[in-house]
Amino acid sequence: MPTLVIDNREVTVPEGMNVLDAAKAIDIVVPHFCYHEALGAIGSCRLCAMQFLEGPVQGVKMACMVPAQDGMVVSTSAAEAVELREHVIEWLMTNHPHDCPVCDEGGECLLQDMTIAGGHYLRRYRGKKATYTNQYLGPFIEQEMNRCITCYRCSRTYRDYCGGRDFGVFGSRNRVFFGRYKDGQLESPFSGNLVDICPTGVFTDKPFRFKSRIWDLQEAPSICPQCSLGCSTIPGGRFRELQRIRSGINQTTNGFFICDRGRFGYGHVNHPERPRDPRVDGLPVTMEEAITAARNRVDALAAKYGGASIAFLGSPRASLEGNLLLQAWAGRVGSSQSVFDAHQGRDHAARSLAANLASLARSLSDVRQSDLIILIGADPLAEGPSLALAIRQAVRQGSEVIVIDPRPVALPCAHQHIPLPPQLLHMVLKALESGQYDELNDAQTQPAVKTLRSKIAQAKLPVLIGGADMLGGLGVKLLCDAAKRFISAECNIGVMVMLSGPNSFGGAFLNIGGPDFDALIDAFQEGRVRGLVCLESDPFREAQFPAKAQAALGHLELLISIDCTPTLAAKRADIFMPSRATAEMAGSFINNEGRLQAFHQAIEPGMPLSALGPGKHPPRLFQSTTPGATPQPAWQILGQLLDRPADLNQLRRTLAAENPKLKALTHVDTTAARICAEPNGIAAALTHEMFSADSSAGNVPLLITSAFVGSHWLSHLSSPLKALREEPTVWLHPSLAATLGLKHGERAILSTTLGRCHVRVQTSNDMAQELALTYQLLDSALEGMSPGTIINCRLTGEEGQ
Amino acid sequence: MTLWRDIKGTLQPFWITLGYLFQKPVTIQYPEVKRTPPPRYRARIVLTRDPDGGERCVACHLCSGACPVDCISMQAAEDADGRRYAAWFRINFSRCIFCGLCAEACPTLAIQMTPDYEICNRDILNLVYEKEDLLIDGCGKDTQYNFYEHAGIGVANERGRNQDEYGPVDPKSLLP
Repeated sequence: MPTLVIDNREVTVPEGMNVLDAAKAIDIVVPHFCYHEALGAIGSCRLCAMQFLEGPVQGVKMACMVPAQDGMVVSTSAAEAVELREHVIEWLMTNHPHDCPVCDEGGECLLQDMTIAGGHYLRRYRGKKATYTNQYLGPFIEQEMNRCITCYRCSRTYRDYCGGRDFGVFGSRNRVFFGRYKDGQLESPFSGNLVDICPTGVFTDKPFRFKSRIWDLQEAPSICPQCSLGCSTIPGGRFRELQRIRSGINQTTNGFFICDRGRFGYGHVNHPERPRDPRVDGLPVTMEEAITAARNRVDALAAKYGGASIAFLGSPRASLEGNLLLQAWAGRVGSSQSVFDAHQGRDHAARSLAANLASLARSLSDVRQSDLIILIGADPLAEGPSLALAIRQAVRQGSEVIVIDPRPVALPCAHQHIPLPPQLLHMVLKALESGQYDELNDAQTQPAVKTLRSKIAQAKLPVLIGGADMLGGLGVKLLCDAAKRFISAECNIGVMVMLSGPNSFGGAFLNIGGPDFDALIDAFQEGRVRGLVCLESDPFREAQFPAKAQAALGHLELLISIDCTPTLAAKRADIFMPSRATAEMAGSFINNEGRLQAFHQAIEPGMPLSALGPGKHPPRLFQSTTPGATPQPAWQILGQLLDRPADLNQLRRTLAAENPKLKALTHVDTTAARICAEPNGIAAALTHEMFSADSSAGNVPLLITSAFVGSHWLSHLSSPLKALREEPTVWLHPSLAATLGLKHGERAILSTTLGRCHVRVQTSNDMAQELALTYQLLDSALEGMSPGTIINCRLTGEEGQ
Repeated sequence: MTLWRDIKGTLQPFWITLGYLFQKPVTIQYPEVKRTPPPRYRARIVLTRDPDGGERCVACHLCSGACPVDCISMQAAEDADGRRYAAWFRINFSRCIFCGLCAEACPTLAIQMTPDYEICNRDILNLVYEKEDLLIDGCGKDTQYNFYEHAGIGVANERGRNQDEYGPVDPKSLLP
């Protein structure tokens, strides 16, 4: 812990911290560009000069390159250092264009701030400026290279931190150019971070282009609703339209960066088909009338058939408060039929995790520091993209990554891939736990698992990572059991499992021993349950076997839906009440490591101004109401229904008082303690059934999983992400492709019991053999295929038809 | 001495008033008679055009950011040639206090104050001016300036063809 003096103030900082950060620690900010906490120091912008007066280093030095040491006396205001900074910023500005008014970075531009802070007010250079030709970089990033000050932050972010390979530095001296070899879409799923990281306007947000200035945006800290990792985000909106999302900073979860799905997946908030008006039996009503109708009809049904005839379906994307109140409603009606995920496999995985995780929980920050990462049945880019980024940071520090998965898992870092068919994953986990390899009769798998065991035993901070779709409830339990076997003084092993939604863990926590959706389907069919209340969930699409669920849901007498998106449940509901999207409300989620995190309201709901007609300007009307502003937070709707406090903090206090395990709800923030359920509360049997009952269509097993874009409901509704949507594809191992007579890149016809569709064939040696793989794509022929299932299929070449 | 001061204080104003009685009156019989305000008088706001006739406003939001009463709102958009312009631009003159901060903030000299002070109206909605109402066919006070000639992003001229620019560099060149 070195102690040094900066500007006559003594400061003690941790070992290894540089002088620039040490100064920041006592609120002395010196202009700088190239240094970034996540990227480190390279001393290329020459702007953070300080005068080192005494100590081991002396003279004017770049503060970011000098580690703080004992006995240093540093001045940030010494004449020599100030003069140097003034000159450097003037040089950086010589070629900078005169285009701040038309630059989207204006207002949040580090160059603007640092130019003024560096003491450069007036341009003295009268010569000509260098110019560049811009590149087309895809639908997300707009490039304006003339603005570049060559701080190298972009290439360090894109290549070093995010592991992208198609972007870099070209040229020499004053011809340095940051871009791709030729025009084209940036390939990295983390390309959006260039927008946040560029200190000036070279890389700006294309979907947000010319929409707003930062001072007009309504922003608030929020949590990303796209996956279960709970990354911190800052949504910003204007004129009732959510216009962009930028990364928030949370060192325990995402750090400084987020994925493109989180950044550009906000379209569901402004979706033109979003239902905004309450309905009862197809007729528009006020919210109060809808609430009264919902309460009365549920009570009437309960009076007629008993409380158990009403089921309540919560959701992994609804807030914890909303789900809690839904359960409270069930309790008041006298029904124990509440479920919080319509997808059986994912629901079991989440419950199993909530029950078994305990002290095995690891955050993304722990993953970044891990020295051995083993992914079993996990595909981070599909299930939780920021995890891939965390894994890459571990690899950069020397960690080893081993992937055991039937899919050709793409990671932005070096890794070893063992492609095993899905049914072997559980056996691998059992073998890891017990050390018995008898069930694994495969000649290659046995030694691989043996080495895996020895590697885990030798590692200090290993992390086992799983995915809900592949492992299911049983797999997650086996994963936790396997991890527990390796706990020792030297081996601090942990587990992370990617779940289906931002609040999957929260839902599982509430319903650890309750019924599951399969039990509800049986009850619908037998007429034991006649009413269903859906909270931000869509059993028609989200169930593990949607065809079966849809048939059963037809028996219902009453369907109530509370939602903010145009789901099938919302369209078919007898009573519909519009709720608010995450960015429009405050609430909390429990992420996949059991961390309770709060989010705040960024914008008010309402029909976006841009959607109010095609006129040259907004309507010229005076009115006191906002069009489309009826949606209320789901917890508020349910709160009114149950006569609970309308104030969120008061509501949280009552909920915490009712549920002692949720004490943390009274003071939620990003550093809240993790929440874990009782380890032995699971009533539902933990089997993991991936096979669909009916499999008469062919003889090739087809594994269905989710894609980066197209399989997740919220991101599916986002127009900016449409460009990343893949065409229907089937992945095969080359040997299976040869047997079927198909070639890489060819088009084929995929026939299953769900129908026929045209797909493109892709082959990969990283695929498990004797298995075909496809992604669920919503609103396509592949919509009915639910991730985490295996059905039989037939594949024929198009020419053969 | 107090008495003398009081007498002087009473009589002197009367004397001055009496003096003005025989001078030409300064009151103007508005609206029959109208004064010409000085050219820098701050009244009705206009949007000007550059010497080529293009809209000067680039919808940078600096005027609305500077406006102390929030009477300016706009939406920026992009033209086919990359020019940033205001898709719509609205000033609510019933709220405007004519402080001139918007004109001062404008980096492209688009928004300017004119001496036209006669904008009273019986219907308050008529005081909400849209872009069509604000745009004039002229440069206003500066007849030379064209922002895009200097902006350096290749709108008025091709990239690197403005007066103060070198042509685009070739980053793949190996020359020293």
